[in-house]
Amino acid sequence: MIAQTAISMLLTSVAVYAATERRRSPVVALLSIIAAAAGLYFTWTPDHATQVAMWAGVGRGVDLVLYIWVCISLIVLLNLHLKLRRQMDLVTVMARTIALAEARHRLSEKADRRRFPEAVRDR
Amino acid sequence: MWVVIAAYNEASVIGRVINEVKRRGYPVVVVDDGSSDRTADASAAAHVLVRHPINLGQGAALQTGIDFALERGADVIVTFDADGQHRAADIEKLVQAIRVADVDFALGSRFLGCSDGVPVARRVLLKAATLFTQLTTGLRISDTHNGLRAMTRRGAGVVRLRQNRMAHASEMLSQIAASGLGYIEVPVTIEYSAYSMAKGQTIGDALTILLDLFARRLYR
Repeated sequence: MIAQTAISMLLTSVAVYAATERRRSPVVALLSIIAAAAGLYFTWTPDHATQVAMWAGVGRGVDLVLYIWVCISLIVLLNLHLKLRRQMDLVTVMARTIALAEARHRLSEKADRRRFPEAVRDR
Repeated sequence: MWVVIAAYNEASVIGRVINEVKRRGYPVVVVDDGSSDRTADASAAAHVLVRHPINLGQGAALQTGIDFALERGADVIVTFDADGQHRAADIEKLVQAIRVADVDFALGSRFLGCSDGVPVARRVLLKAATLFTQLTTGLRISDTHNGLRAMTRRGAGVVRLRQNRMAHASEMLSQIAASGLGYIEVPVTIEYSAYSMAKGQTIGDALTILLDLFARRLYR
């Protein structure tokens, strides 16, 4: 009972987290929610887990739950990877902004040097 | 008009490439993509040098160059490789094609033009990329990874490269297909050298491109 409650709380957290990510990564969110829901169901109905496991050729119900947990972990890993890619998108925008601003500044300085050579010399 | 050259560690060739393009009368903007060698110094002949503070990838560098050219009011933007594979003489062909055919994109094709010395493996890889592009975008293009292209201001406006690395070529073609704007392929010459071959794409790069394209579909 204690273990089931603890696992249920963790799986519910996964489902809630997945729901918050659904706008950014809809596919990952959906897969996570399905996996979490399946995990929750089999945690409280271990007999069904055993029947499904035998049908799927897995062996024991507890093995099935373990495999579902592995799937959840891989999906969460995928989500982290996608977050990193999004971070890289932001870094790109920032780096581009800096690069273009510097180029504009250099061009403006060059134009000033051509227009006001004395002013630049005296500076 | 602006010619955009994205460069990463091309100190040994970039000067010659820039001068070849300038000799034809085109303004050149070089985007130094965080090079660790003296590419920036060697690009002194360029009209403008834009420097990424870190290395982001060819796709990111091209988009930076395109953004710069649009800011400067360019009516036509040409992308040109930094490794010396392209011929500056082909730029005029692309620009003329845009004007004569009244399209927004002129895409260079080595398979319509001249590509002596293409290794068999590279040719197979490029053909596979062509097939992939035809299946995913519907574009009937013979050379999907040719960096020599010209686009009008309107065409450049629909291009928004988010693929920083080598998948940008496929991404650009997807955006061209989605925009419905006109395009034409133009025969160009690719001059392979030991230097440029060493920098070319491998099968591993092709797998990375597929992964990048797939991953992009998974998030917004």
